[in-house]
Amino acid sequence: MSKKNDESLQAQLAQLDQVVAWFDQEDFDVEQALGKYEQGIELVAAIEERLKTLENKVEVLKKRFDQAG
Amino acid sequence: MEKTPISVSETVALINQTLEYALPVLMVEGEVASFKVNQGKYVFFDLKDEESSLGCFMTVWQLRMPLEDGMKVRVVATPKLTAWGKFSLTVREVRPVGEGSLKRSFELLKAKLEKEGLFDEDRKRPLPRLPHSVGLIASTESAGYVDFLTILGSRWGGMEVSVAHVQVQGVGAAEQLVRAVEYFNTLDERPEVLVVVRGGGSADDLAVFNDEPLVRAIAASKIPTLVGIGHEVDVSLVDLVADVRAATPSNAAEILVPDKREIMTNVQVAAKDIGVRFDRRLERLHDELMQIKPELDRSLKQRLIRLHDSVMQKRRLLETLNPVRVLKSGYALLRTADGKPVSTKGQSAIKKGDELKLELNKRILGVGVTYVEEK
Repeated sequence: MSKKNDESLQAQLAQLDQVVAWFDQEDFDVEQALGKYEQGIELVAAIEERLKTLENKVEVLKKRFDQAG
Repeated sequence: MEKTPISVSETVALINQTLEYALPVLMVEGEVASFKVNQGKYVFFDLKDEESSLGCFMTVWQLRMPLEDGMKVRVVATPKLTAWGKFSLTVREVRPVGEGSLKRSFELLKAKLEKEGLFDEDRKRPLPRLPHSVGLIASTESAGYVDFLTILGSRWGGMEVSVAHVQVQGVGAAEQLVRAVEYFNTLDERPEVLVVVRGGGSADDLAVFNDEPLVRAIAASKIPTLVGIGHEVDVSLVDLVADVRAATPSNAAEILVPDKREIMTNVQVAAKDIGVRFDRRLERLHDELMQIKPELDRSLKQRLIRLHDSVMQKRRLLETLNPVRVLKSGYALLRTADGKPVSTKGQSAIKKGDELKLELNKRILGVGVTYVEEK
């Protein structure tokens, strides 16, 4: 479960980077900017939510390493 | 009472059985002397102190750290009488003890592995930026393990951490660490990063991290490695061979993942940036329009003025051509009897006796042509 979630967190961070980069253009299209702006704000909210709630899953292996095999 | 005699071989076997029963494992400390390796496989040396000396035997594969004469070592061994009646210790594990010997052994192995290029910078791989899966090798009873997981959890979430619980000091610890490294590397779904942590300890405690097979196992790991061993002194060979070295287990967690609070701040800054840029773009667009407007106004005005000028010019021209004005200055307009103006071409049709109309300034006169002559 966390693998999928975390992947999309990374994907969301990457998407946000892209949105920011889009706004870095010298003469971006103003009409398109409205849509991009909304997308950016939604991403920020989603990322914040994820960061607040995600926890690590720690599993101690049953395998023993004090003997060969 | 007389005993039944037994054979020599039986005697050796009996003594060995007795030894095994009485002294199954010995841990002996002493100084190495007459160290030699035969056929690249068998290691022989004497273990001695001021008064006594014992022969020791082991294979090179069991020798995990370099030895040389004069080194103080601790061996874990089984006493044995050989078939030819020589008493020796069959060594299972040997490691240098005391600062001087540890240091010497460390230097010897370091030089050897360095020559092989195991510590070269270009062997170092970067760690994944945001790993999903982590293979953690540690003792779950250690403070280092708890520190690592605590810091990891406070900084980042959503990871799967598989923990290989191993002993990180004492007899067999190095071998356990090697097995754990190899275990993670043989998995079908390997973790993205391998982390080895161990809290601080004395030089003796940490000697396990100068173990040659362990150093080689980490060097051979297909998974990038991060090592966080708390040291009071110097670095270990495992530190040198790992892709990334952290100073402590907590530091390893800090290196492995970004702080989510930092990411949160970055994300908020990004959101603000987007807004600022959007506003700026709109402002610039407005400025551009405002800049163009006077130009547009000016060019429109100029065009109107030009149009007006040209109309006035034409009007003046027309005025000079107005026939009424011409008549006013004394000229007359000649028309045929039916009132058509006589053109240059029409003049040639006029003949004697024709009736014409002559328009003056104020009057129109009917006139007869009395003669016609060419000019």
